Amino acid sequence: MRARLDEAELRGWMVEYQAGRIEAFDRVYAAIASPLRRYLTALTRDASEAQDLLQEAFLQIHRSRRTYDPEQPLLPWVFAISRHVYLMSLRATRRRPLRGADDVEDVELPVPPEVEGLADRLELRAAIGRVGADRREAMLLHHLWGFSFREVGAIQGVTESAAKLRSSRGMAELRRILEGSR
Amino acid sequence: MIDETVPAALRERIASDLAPVAPLRKPWLRAATALPLAVLLLFAASTIYSLRGDAGRLGWTLTWGLSTVELALGMLLIGFALREAIPGRVWSPPALLASFGAALGAVLLITLATWRVSPTRIVHESVAYLTSVCFGYPLVAALPVILFAGLLASRAFPLRPQIAGALYGAGAGLLSDAGWRLFCDYSDPAHVLTAHLGAIVAATLLGALTGRLLRPRR
Repeated sequence: MRARLDEAELRGWMVEYQAGRIEAFDRVYAAIASPLRRYLTALTRDASEAQDLLQEAFLQIHRSRRTYDPEQPLLPWVFAISRHVYLMSLRATRRRPLRGADDVEDVELPVPPEVEGLADRLELRAAIGRVGADRREAMLLHHLWGFSFREVGAIQGVTESAAKLRSSRGMAELRRILEGSR
Repeated sequence: MIDETVPAALRERIASDLAPVAPLRKPWLRAATALPLAVLLLFAASTIYSLRGDAGRLGWTLTWGLSTVELALGMLLIGFALREAIPGRVWSPPALLASFGAALGAVLLITLATWRVSPTRIVHESVAYLTSVCFGYPLVAALPVILFAGLLASRAFPLRPQIAGALYGAGAGLLSDAGWRLFCDYSDPAHVLTAHLGAIVAATLLGALTGRLLRPRR
């Protein structure tokens, strides 16, 4: 996924967006809306909530666009803001019952290519939904969106090695869940 | 590349508020704008009141030298706070522990180095009074720095405003103590580690509170 998003091109659009060009915002949106929606779906395990949060995330990105440093990669900045939007929403709806693990088979959770061969997609999505939240997030950020562990750590607020550990434990947990379901 | 069209309502909202913005400067450059305040604090107490009585015995290194080190560490913590306030650039828990640990370690080392060369005790009757003075004054002196750094941080987008606040609060506490220790005559670790360090801890907590109060609203 990350390889398909040309970082240099993205940064250029972001700089133009900071300069006030709406067409540049269109380009940024076109490039990152889909991965962001999938990320938010992975966090919320609820496609419609993810769609609402996506709009909120773009508004937050807009409000804080001056904090983007054009010398830094864009995606860790964007994902960190989106994660914050998700956490704020989680805090606001803390009293609302969370979706149970059994409700996630119908959600279009993203599947890292490394595990695609382990089971069919529906089974995989359900299994990914059962992986612990922090581990699932680290695993998807690294294996699906191609963030380095350093970037995953910066997004999650942990060290590079903790991010690596979360991701590898997430993969191990996913394999265990898949083996247990057979 | 997957292309998506912006929903009309979202595009309209963005377009209605699309003034050009200049990207924020590097955290270190923005922290440097607090340097005049830091220098003012460094000279304030010793200029308004007097230089500590044992300054001659301590020499330049243990007075101005160590205070300059404390000032530099305080500025560094403010820089860390402003970096923490940038999305995607947050510090990990070990880095935060190291930052706060360095602040604590610096105060301990400065206290012991000063005590070793010039041990000065407080007479028992004055302990409570001097503790309150050396806690209260530096804390009040740290407030402008906390407020200034808080405004700088809130111009960014701190995702963990209390943590950013605690960092610039600790930085402000160090800056304030760097100047106050040049006036305070007492090097007794019992005094320094309660009153002076207490003021730094209180500034850290005030910074966290300021960060929370100045946090960006949705």
